[in-house]
Amino acid sequence: MTAVRQEPDPPPTDDDLAQRFRAGDETALREAYDRYGRAVLHLATSTLVNRSDAEDVTQATFVAAWLGRDTFDPDKGSLIGWLLGIGRRKVIDRIRASARETRVVETVRQLPEPVSTGPDPDAVVDRLVVADELARLPEDQRRMLELAFYDDLTHQQISAVTGVPLGTVKSHIRRGMASLKRRWEVDGAAPGPRAAGLSGAR
Amino acid sequence: MQHLDHERLVFLALGESDADHGETGHLDTCAQCRDELAGLRHVAGLGADTQGLADLPDPPEHLWRNIVAEIEAAGSLPSLTEARRSPESLDGTIDPTGTAGSNGLTGTAGITGTAGTVGTTRPGTAGADEPTGGGIGLGTRPGTHPSASPLRAPGSARRSRRSRRRPAWATTALTSVAAAAIAIAGTVAVLDGSRPTPQPTSRQDVVASAPLAAFGTTPRDANGDARILTDGRLHLHVANLPAVPGYYQVWLINPKNMEMFPVGVLHNRSDDALLPLPPNVDLQAYSVVDVSAEQYDNKPAHSGDSLLRGTLTG
Repeated sequence: MTAVRQEPDPPPTDDDLAQRFRAGDETALREAYDRYGRAVLHLATSTLVNRSDAEDVTQATFVAAWLGRDTFDPDKGSLIGWLLGIGRRKVIDRIRASARETRVVETVRQLPEPVSTGPDPDAVVDRLVVADELARLPEDQRRMLELAFYDDLTHQQISAVTGVPLGTVKSHIRRGMASLKRRWEVDGAAPGPRAAGLSGAR
Repeated sequence: MQHLDHERLVFLALGESDADHGETGHLDTCAQCRDELAGLRHVAGLGADTQGLADLPDPPEHLWRNIVAEIEAAGSLPSLTEARRSPESLDGTIDPTGTAGSNGLTGTAGITGTAGTVGTTRPGTAGADEPTGGGIGLGTRPGTHPSASPLRAPGSARRSRRSRRRPAWATTALTSVAAAAIAIAGTVAVLDGSRPTPQPTSRQDVVASAPLAAFGTTPRDANGDARILTDGRLHLHVANLPAVPGYYQVWLINPKNMEMFPVGVLHNRSDDALLPLPPNVDLQAYSVVDVSAEQYDNKPAHSGDSLLRGTLTG
């Protein structure tokens, strides 16, 4: 995600990278990792207690994605959405596995306290997908949405801060929100269209 | 009744104002507008939570190396040198196969950490014995360390899960050779990774050898040869291995107690490999060479699916 912001503006499109990745171009793997490795690692680190588990999941995600690249369908979603979907499955598997281990340990120790659960992986994936789309929005739309999201400014205040006419602010925000929502619907973790594409890469 | 204006729905979703009476009435009866508003509200909430996600920290350097090594072990990435835009690809000395070899070996070195906990070797010692540069690259972006080499980062390699999750039996089996594993961790760099089909150095004497035959239900035409060379390497030749979804792993097994340790991976159904062995490995005890089919399942233990086996005599 960061990569998107750090690349020259505007961010490069995913289309070419996704096609090359699917075609087995090794340079595309490195590019995908440079661009999205942080996001996958963030998903893992924010949902798993153990740092090395998180790195392991990130590693396994990219390995599985590469070996299962045939199952990636760019028409069904973005590359980052697909990667995060794989990562999400692996995170959930890991959480379940450690829950089993914990149960065993607890049985032995007779400590009935449940393990505290971290953030919901689905929510983390959704946030990462929205953040990625936000970074891809036209500069004006992004700037105004950030003022609305992060600084909690009203349209009126945004207009005052930026000197952009209120009508234009509204229009930018409306279009930006529509893009974010569309992207979330396509690439978000909510059960739905992407599930089918995932199975092959696990 | 007319649907609510989309700009108005965005307005409501962002909390700019409350729905007026007429809008509330419409939302009560119109599922389409209600769903759209709920979706926009959810996205607005997600958007507010994205702060900071544009500045996530870089993954540690060893993570990419581990990815490459694991993929190369699958024989699925023949020319990653080209792909790797990090500095090690620039100096021209690092080869994908060498990296894979390094990973396998550093995995072995990692065992010394486990062994150390039972009183043989301190893992810190392993790092201290390494050339300087151990642990480079953690938290750095690829491309910022011109001198970095994947073969000289034992510190980060020791952190790899691959080594940490070695099963208990492997620890036991390896305790005796742990020190040796440390000793050769640094020398893996010279493993003949640059040659796709490595051949034993000319006139290397063979101290022991084993014909490998199909094991279990493996098709009979699968076969191979294992030869232990005087320089401590295992030269392995295999042919006609059955295709597997994962990769092939080479093991040395003690037939008396079935303790074993992995010595390397093979990429192809017919392949040649030169695999370094711990210098003081007890080949009298670990006398069986085994080639197994392994899956990418994050389970470092032997899959139980042996394809070839043979007993060393010498």
